[in-house]
Amino acid sequence: MCMEAIIQFKGVSKVFPGVKALDNVSFDIKQGEVHALLGENGAGKSTLLNILHGVYNEYGGEVAINNKKVNFKNANEAIVFGISKVHQEINVIPELTVGQNIALGYEPKKGLVINFKELYRLTDDILKTLKCNFNSRDLVNTLSAGEMQMIAIAKALFHKAKIISFDEPTASLTSNEAEILFNIINQLKNDGLTIIYVSHRLDEIFRIADRATILRDGKYICTYEISDVTREKLIQSMVGRDVSAFAVRHRPSRVTGEVVLETRNLALSNTFSDISFKLRRGEILGFAGLIGSKRTDVMRTIFGADRRTSGNIYINGEESNIKSPINALEHGIGLIPENRKTQGFVKMMTNADNIGLACMKNFTHLGLVNHKEKTNNADQFIKSIGIKPKNPLHLTENLSGGNQQKVILAKWLSTKVDIFIFDEPTKGVDVGAKADIYSLMEDLLEEGKSIIMVSSELPEIIGMSDRAFVMRQGRIVKELKQDELNEETILHYAMGGE
Amino acid sequence: MRVKNIIKLFSKKLGREIGTAAVLLLMLIVFSIMDPIYLSTGNLIDIIDQSTINGLIAIGMTFVIITGGIDLSVGSTMAIAIVGVGKLLASGMNPVLAVLVGALIGVVLGVLNGFLITKLKLQAFIATLGTMSIYRGVAYVITNGWPVLDMPQNFRNMLDGDVFGNIPVSIFILFGFAIVAHILLKHTRFGTYVYSMGGNEEATRLSGVNVEKNKLMVYVICGLGAALAGMIMLARLGTGEPATGQGYELNAIAAAAIGGTSLAGGRGSIIGTVLGTIVLSALKVGLVVVGVDTFWQYIATGIIIIVAVCFELIQNALSKKSQKL
Repeated sequence: MCMEAIIQFKGVSKVFPGVKALDNVSFDIKQGEVHALLGENGAGKSTLLNILHGVYNEYGGEVAINNKKVNFKNANEAIVFGISKVHQEINVIPELTVGQNIALGYEPKKGLVINFKELYRLTDDILKTLKCNFNSRDLVNTLSAGEMQMIAIAKALFHKAKIISFDEPTASLTSNEAEILFNIINQLKNDGLTIIYVSHRLDEIFRIADRATILRDGKYICTYEISDVTREKLIQSMVGRDVSAFAVRHRPSRVTGEVVLETRNLALSNTFSDISFKLRRGEILGFAGLIGSKRTDVMRTIFGADRRTSGNIYINGEESNIKSPINALEHGIGLIPENRKTQGFVKMMTNADNIGLACMKNFTHLGLVNHKEKTNNADQFIKSIGIKPKNPLHLTENLSGGNQQKVILAKWLSTKVDIFIFDEPTKGVDVGAKADIYSLMEDLLEEGKSIIMVSSELPEIIGMSDRAFVMRQGRIVKELKQDELNEETILHYAMGGE
Repeated sequence: MRVKNIIKLFSKKLGREIGTAAVLLLMLIVFSIMDPIYLSTGNLIDIIDQSTINGLIAIGMTFVIITGGIDLSVGSTMAIAIVGVGKLLASGMNPVLAVLVGALIGVVLGVLNGFLITKLKLQAFIATLGTMSIYRGVAYVITNGWPVLDMPQNFRNMLDGDVFGNIPVSIFILFGFAIVAHILLKHTRFGTYVYSMGGNEEATRLSGVNVEKNKLMVYVICGLGAALAGMIMLARLGTGEPATGQGYELNAIAAAAIGGTSLAGGRGSIIGTVLGTIVLSALKVGLVVVGVDTFWQYIATGIIIIVAVCFELIQNALSKKSQKL
């Protein structure tokens, strides 16, 4: 590996309204390495990437590439210069072909019209080097999530990228697809490209990164050689305190014999069928499975967000006809959904409003809302579960992922529901907030509540569940007791083992 | 330091309404310099009086727009209220009763819009584009295309007479409706849901809120506002035409937009909308006072709409800057 620095950050600072997102950050990224960027949510990773990629062009300090100062006016300029980014969310235009997506905006021309023959030849060449098993004339909407991500990488190569950064690239990939991605990243590295890799999944960092830089609260902390650092050391540097980030139960089990929720042969046409299980008071019931195993659909159906086609739901032993989230709330069920932005909280509303949304009745007297009571309610939860910043009048959309998750949790805590359904409780949540959320789950159990937890993070299922189900293709394929829970067993059943 | 504070104050939450008020103030100053008569009490009352009809419609429209919807049928709803109430009055009905029936017409037409949007899941734009045409047709059918004439004087006095000297009673109806609407929007559960549905309908639904019921309600309020506007118009003119109210939906949308209601939903206020309505009529009256040709009014109105919305962009930029300082 060459040891020359290709990117130099020199005292980079960036201020947003009310926050110092980056504070005098200086470090180098070497030519041809895979450099991981680590830190809790809000540590400044995305801001730093956005500066490098020309999304933000007003900032303090300077960025140099090959010892020359750069300041791109916009992302396009950076791409043309040879710096591309592969996003967490996959940005493609589904109605166009793969080739059109790759060359978008820079199509080869013949006179005034696009030279499609040339376009498909160029893009097919790139797809070949990436060993993709689809070709440039395929329509994008026929591809899987992993394949769509290849388009983003192909796009970077189309622009002859020298530097590619990946922002949580495996977030929406299955483990097979992630495996393919890692191979590609290795191949790009061998071809001499420089890779910047942002991820919360430490296993991935240890697999593919050469070095890792840690940011915390907008400040540069240190850079490690991956070969001589431990997982614990990395986490410690990220949170700045010694927190066990691993999902572990710290208190004794609270499981009782009392069944609070039971489903019998629950089904939703073309999605899932034959879902029967019992949830007991004081229990965390895990739902493991691969992406696409329809766990989220099961939870939405129990919550009434989707209408079941058949089957029964019993709450505290009584059959209940849950047809909508309104009924679910009446029966004491709360859902903390997988996608916070689209389903969890309301934009343009304050924490007080978002936390109070499901229990506005409590603050209404003679038809009028008592705003003070609403704010006090929010304030109480902001303090008790540690939402930052500690301001009930702050807009929820400006909070970090972990704090947004806590706001949504506070919404259900305000309603005094009995059964909490957590769908991916720590997705996109930083290490510190993760530990908080786990601890809050245990608090709930102590108060006699029950929890269903859908999670794609196996350590979370294994560490937190009293019992877990494994789902595959819309069916429950296996029930596992606490002592039977381990990664191999869960994956065995999730991937089709008997 | 002082400038900073002013910028901060300016960009605070109430800033958008202050922006609209500033536009209004600027207009008052400019027109009164051009002709001092503009600032006379009579003229000022006239400006507000000119705002009542658009104001009543725009207030209802504000609810709809905050939820992220739109109601194009308000002008036609108005027409049905006009000819319906006109017919009833002509047949000798008690004016109080006729007004209640008129309000009920607005409610029913609003329920119909809400039903199409919440139960049949039609897009608000398309659903109300349809009912805009249907309601208009109904208004023509009711009178066979003829106008309703000679409204009884007691009805006209009830909705458009003068009180306290020479203040038209319709102004009180406008402010009464505005105050109730403001309380509904800012101080009731329903109001919170109006904003939350506009900000994120799915998250609101998943919080156990009855989205269908609350959404239907905003169209009912909008229909009611349009019907009230229609009846005031009927009282003011003494006659009513089934063709009345065409294009009024756009004036109402303009007033809301000038007042800071975001067409993307989730943001807006009654104070802003009322100010927006007054801005539009102050402009209209002002151009007449200084003697500008009517054709130019359209151009000026368009410019004001665009300027007011640009104002919001400037304000956002300022608020970002003030937080940096």
